[in-house]
Amino acid sequence: MNVEISSAFLLDVATGQALEAELWDAITERQLADWEGEWTPALMQAIQNLNRAGIERRFWPQSRHWDWRRKADAFKGLLSKPGFSVMCQDMTQGMMIVDTLSAARLSSQTGKPLVYIEFLENAPWNRKGLVLAEPRFQGVGSLLMRAAIELSLNEDFKGRIGLHSLPQSDTWYANTCGMTDLGVDAQKEGLRYFEMTPEQSQAFINKGNQP
Amino acid sequence: MKIELTKEWCLQMARMEIDAGADIEIGAGPVAADPTIRYSESAMEHVPDPNIAFGRFVRLMRRHHHLTLEKLAEDADVEITELVEIEDDSRHKPEPRTVYQLAKRFQVPTTKLLQLAGLSAPKDARLVHEAIRFAARSDPVEELSENERAALEAFVSVLSELQ
Repeated sequence: MNVEISSAFLLDVATGQALEAELWDAITERQLADWEGEWTPALMQAIQNLNRAGIERRFWPQSRHWDWRRKADAFKGLLSKPGFSVMCQDMTQGMMIVDTLSAARLSSQTGKPLVYIEFLENAPWNRKGLVLAEPRFQGVGSLLMRAAIELSLNEDFKGRIGLHSLPQSDTWYANTCGMTDLGVDAQKEGLRYFEMTPEQSQAFINKGNQP
Repeated sequence: MKIELTKEWCLQMARMEIDAGADIEIGAGPVAADPTIRYSESAMEHVPDPNIAFGRFVRLMRRHHHLTLEKLAEDADVEITELVEIEDDSRHKPEPRTVYQLAKRFQVPTTKLLQLAGLSAPKDARLVHEAIRFAARSDPVEELSENERAALEAFVSVLSELQ
């Protein structure tokens, strides 16, 4: 597998310092080993804590059943299902699998090709209150969103992307990413479906370039 | 695929994630499925409980500020039809943007109001407990009484206190 690695940075929340990171255009055995050896144990410990605290199951991490090894194996070799990952301090911090054969639903973009984010997940320790009181690193989600947009541009899809949001992420996509909320999709477990137009993707990129 | 990412861009976006509320989760994808397995039922948990406390809170805060629905919709820049549904239909799930705008207008923590609205998981069991207590103490039919006002003020304090 030929992996392209782009230099990036994450913010260390505790120190406020920038840390060198990497954006990989693949999910390899290295990331899957981190998922099995670090993500999963941390997530299971967090779930145990939630259970013992009496927090209802509907408020537990909604991606807790995800099996990234099965996802990666199912999509291995499919050029239309590329993966991306974020590495920092020699550990996988985020992963994403996208699809390049989907079409937009937004009325102004109907039928036009877009990059659809199949799955996107941040490492458990980067989610506030789940493993640590404060996230360890910030910036993972933005890097993965940027990767999806850049792939869309590279494929000549003009930056169009789409995704079904985990309920706990609705606000992020609506307000911070500036995506259009197309509402609840009954065909996808009642998740809300969001899309980003070419203009919205450029606006997302421009946000990071503001002084 | 190589991507050119400046340090400034990465850090600016990371700070925006913090500004958005660091407890906002970032994730996407169907909750149940592995692509190799077809599940016969959704892994999404059924949410049986209506957002009684959220609708009650919005109604009382509006009355406390002596606002009509129209005025609140105008002030908060939200759809009046959604405000009506929020106050009158406890099963209604509000738009994230609406909750965000209401939090700004009422000057309460956005993250807590999102949790109250059922749009984000409560990280503190006390919020759930206090929300139920608040809903039980407040009566949507009567005029805002001294007790309702006291209940509302106490609950606003809780929203502001919780970390």
